[in-house]
Amino acid sequence: MVAHHHLPPTGTDPLWFKRAVFYEVLVRSFADSDADGIGDMRGLIDRLDYLEWLGVDCLWLPPFFASPLRDGGYDVASYTDILPDFGTVEDFSLLLERAHERGIRVIIDMVMNHTSDQHPWFQASRTDPDGPYGDFYVWADSDTGYADARIIFVDTEVSNWTFDPIRKQYFWHRFFSHQPDLNFDNPAVREAMLDALRFWLELGVDGFRLDAVPYLYEREGTNCENLPETHDFLKQVRDMVDSAYPDRVLLCEANQWPEDVVEYFGDPEVGGDECHMAFHFPVMPRIFMSVRRESRYPISEILERTPQIPSGCQWGIFLRNHDELTLEMVTDEERDYMWAEYAIDPRMKANIGIRRRLAPLLDNDRNQIELFTALLLSLPGSPVLYYGDEIGMGDNIWLGDRDGVRTPMQWTPDRNAGFSTADPGRLTLPVVMDAVYGFQVTNVEAQSRTTSSLLHWTRRMLQVRKQNPAFGLGDFIDVGGSNPSVLSFVRSFGDDVVLCVNNLSRFPQPVELDLRRWEGWLPTEMTGGVPFPPIGELPYLLSVGNHGFFWFQLTPAEEAP
Amino acid sequence: MTRVEGIEAMLGDWMPTQRWFAGKDWPVRRVRVLRHTPIGSANVVDHLVVGVVQDVPGRGSQTTAYQVPVEVRPERIERLEHVLVGHNDSGYVYDALHDRTTTGRLLERLHTGEDLGGLTFHRVEGADIPVGLESLVLTGEQSNTSLAFGDQALLKVFRRLVPGTNPDIEVHAALATTGCTAVAPLLGWFDGSWADPDAGETVSGSLGMLQTFLVTATDGWRLALTSVADLYAERDLHADEVGGDFAGESYRLGKATAEVHHALREVLPTGTWGNDDLRAEAEAMRARLHAALHEAPAAAPLVPGLEQAYDRLAELAGPVPVQRIHGDLHLGQVLRTSVNWKLIDFEGEPEKPLATRMALDTPLRDVAGMLRSYDYAALNSLLVDHADDAQLAYRAGEWSERNREFFLDGYAAAGDVDPREQEVLLRAYETDKAVYELVYESRNRPPWAVIPLTALERLAQ
Repeated sequence: MVAHHHLPPTGTDPLWFKRAVFYEVLVRSFADSDADGIGDMRGLIDRLDYLEWLGVDCLWLPPFFASPLRDGGYDVASYTDILPDFGTVEDFSLLLERAHERGIRVIIDMVMNHTSDQHPWFQASRTDPDGPYGDFYVWADSDTGYADARIIFVDTEVSNWTFDPIRKQYFWHRFFSHQPDLNFDNPAVREAMLDALRFWLELGVDGFRLDAVPYLYEREGTNCENLPETHDFLKQVRDMVDSAYPDRVLLCEANQWPEDVVEYFGDPEVGGDECHMAFHFPVMPRIFMSVRRESRYPISEILERTPQIPSGCQWGIFLRNHDELTLEMVTDEERDYMWAEYAIDPRMKANIGIRRRLAPLLDNDRNQIELFTALLLSLPGSPVLYYGDEIGMGDNIWLGDRDGVRTPMQWTPDRNAGFSTADPGRLTLPVVMDAVYGFQVTNVEAQSRTTSSLLHWTRRMLQVRKQNPAFGLGDFIDVGGSNPSVLSFVRSFGDDVVLCVNNLSRFPQPVELDLRRWEGWLPTEMTGGVPFPPIGELPYLLSVGNHGFFWFQLTPAEEAP
Repeated sequence: MTRVEGIEAMLGDWMPTQRWFAGKDWPVRRVRVLRHTPIGSANVVDHLVVGVVQDVPGRGSQTTAYQVPVEVRPERIERLEHVLVGHNDSGYVYDALHDRTTTGRLLERLHTGEDLGGLTFHRVEGADIPVGLESLVLTGEQSNTSLAFGDQALLKVFRRLVPGTNPDIEVHAALATTGCTAVAPLLGWFDGSWADPDAGETVSGSLGMLQTFLVTATDGWRLALTSVADLYAERDLHADEVGGDFAGESYRLGKATAEVHHALREVLPTGTWGNDDLRAEAEAMRARLHAALHEAPAAAPLVPGLEQAYDRLAELAGPVPVQRIHGDLHLGQVLRTSVNWKLIDFEGEPEKPLATRMALDTPLRDVAGMLRSYDYAALNSLLVDHADDAQLAYRAGEWSERNREFFLDGYAAAGDVDPREQEVLLRAYETDKAVYELVYESRNRPPWAVIPLTALERLAQ
């Protein structure tokens, strides 16, 4: 039995999320404990030792609430019940307990904007307009209101209004017509939502990823996004969390430009009083563009454009996740920019938008996978890993929609990749079986036995990251340099100063860096501990292999080992 | 003078060893101090303007003014050994621009905007001058000495002095009022006066300028070569298919160029050229073409075709709008920063007299310069590493064509006229530029002459 690292006592580490490495795990596809072909909470519990060994700090679980599953669980039919496939609330409680024992926190998805049309609230609302739930949704006699709100799913929905033949009125929905929007102007809805959050907080969850927050309220004459009332409600949520549930985190999903997303951190004067975290969406495509263009400017440009955030807040960054950003899913402004700036390269366009895993996107090139991961772990923000990417799992593009990147985790070369003991035909999704990424070759068991594997490399990088608070808490300084294909930056927090040098080119590159402000300091390469020549007044010369990178710890000469 | 006793003899020996010294071809007869201004009370900078007297064959005795700030230290300083000018009874004389503990004197004076009598410092209104930062002399500079103060400011100290306002300062000072973001903001400058030994009178001129240091920048030439290297590695792919495609950057560069032209029109003089001016321009171009044949007889068969461009220019009725332009625009004169492209170095072609460099001209000259630069970027590595590779030559041509078009698209999109609608002007300027290149390459780098020659073949059709 390994010695576990318990969580620190409640209330002593409110900024844990700024140093954490997150790991998105799909319960459905991770591990199946009861041989029904579907992953579940107890299966995940069985794999916590692996996640602790890997070194992740917090799991993010996409929706697992009761749902008709017409939108991957984002169509919630009950805010306090778990989909039976995944187990029970008691199973989830046990997961929290076992994870916390290992020093791992758990945040869950919370869809506040809308419910499934199967939710009892909606059923009551449509049948009894004068009852207690009559006003829980946004009803109207005509479909002409809020005409300035864009339609998000333009390919499947023709309007944000749909006529309900039972209530004989139109209901408002920003997403699919089977997902009616809740009416946040109704105090009872706000209270019901706070109750739902309290339910999970009481069980011990460490926070929520708040889905689709910009759309909570509607106001005539606006685009019905990012309204002041929405921010007021988020402040109310934050207040409730801060006062009763310390050390919990709110992670906002607002797929917008960073300068607009910062609004969701709230008041910088008090260190932020809305969400603790928000996803930084444009970083990911920019990393892909930079490597493809062999130019640091796509990345350095977006970081330059990223505003300061309140002291108590943090960005979340990712390379891939379950629900990939596409050019169709971004805001008009962002799309216009992307098209104008970068869509002139048709290949790039095809590569950004599609839903594929990291390894196949990079042609399974180990150097590139490592470079991308190193960037994810060193750029400002808390990194979110996607399950399976640590072993370079592939995808199954024939599964369509988003399922191609949601295939079962590949644990062993045995039947069903060790994911389940069910008949292979019964699996939630088939395991990947191709010659390169198939589970016979690519699996946890094989890679944990080979110290040169991607899995071991990833684990080592997480350890290095954990030893250096500069990655999570530090400033970001773009140090430029003579070579446009090399992105070099310094992260510094107190006396922890880390220099990261990334060769975005497929050819080896030299670079000269102006490091005068650390003149006399000594760089030590962080994965191997090898000391490099001291920094002098003249430009610091480095050569970096194709798609290579360096992480250096910089120490003043007198303190050097 | 006691502190800099004997400085003239020391400089006579030392200056010819410096990279920025322009008169290396002829011996120095003597050096005369034309003005000496001490700056500061401790760590004094002895600011000197000196005249270097040389005998130039055919032109007799000629005096050139140089700016040489020195400092005198009582003891020897090892880290300044490489810029030791000499020593006298007061101590060791060093080039003060290389002493980071001393160069701050200049920054402080720029901050306060001091007038030291014959040496005057100016701060651009509202400019934030990073007093207190230490400097480093940048390598790679040819005719001036440039100092980076931390990662904040860049001080360019002119070495060879000419009377009058330096066009780079003039243009940047004017652009500072326009809000144009496609140049590096000017923070301050300094100028002075000195006794002109030839004219026997006091003249004044620019001595140096301080700009925001673009720490994240790399030059366009370097970035373009990165793209070309990527192209060469994929022999089967076209320029629009390789990852290192440069078209997006070219488009943005075209926009930045048009923005700068627009801003220059707003704040500096403009005018028009009538048919007389255009005819004169065409004749000058024609003369340069014929003169070029002495250096590059291989171009002779192209002359009739090329002259058509000049004939058409001479037939243009006008009026053609003219304005201040960059004057020597190419990929090495633009910097990509994390934010956008910046045009730098508005000095014009340094060999030309000041009046010519500040003359009004059509912006199409800058556009043509950039278009020629794309050709060079595409073919440069081909000549160096892959001579006689027809497949790559074809791809390189595609790269150049693609990026020229995107540059022009960007230029047109910024609200200015599309240069392709002024085809006569553009073609004439491009031809003239290629002729200039042909002469230069034939003299200095004969294998490179194929680059302008190929372009001239195309332009002659």
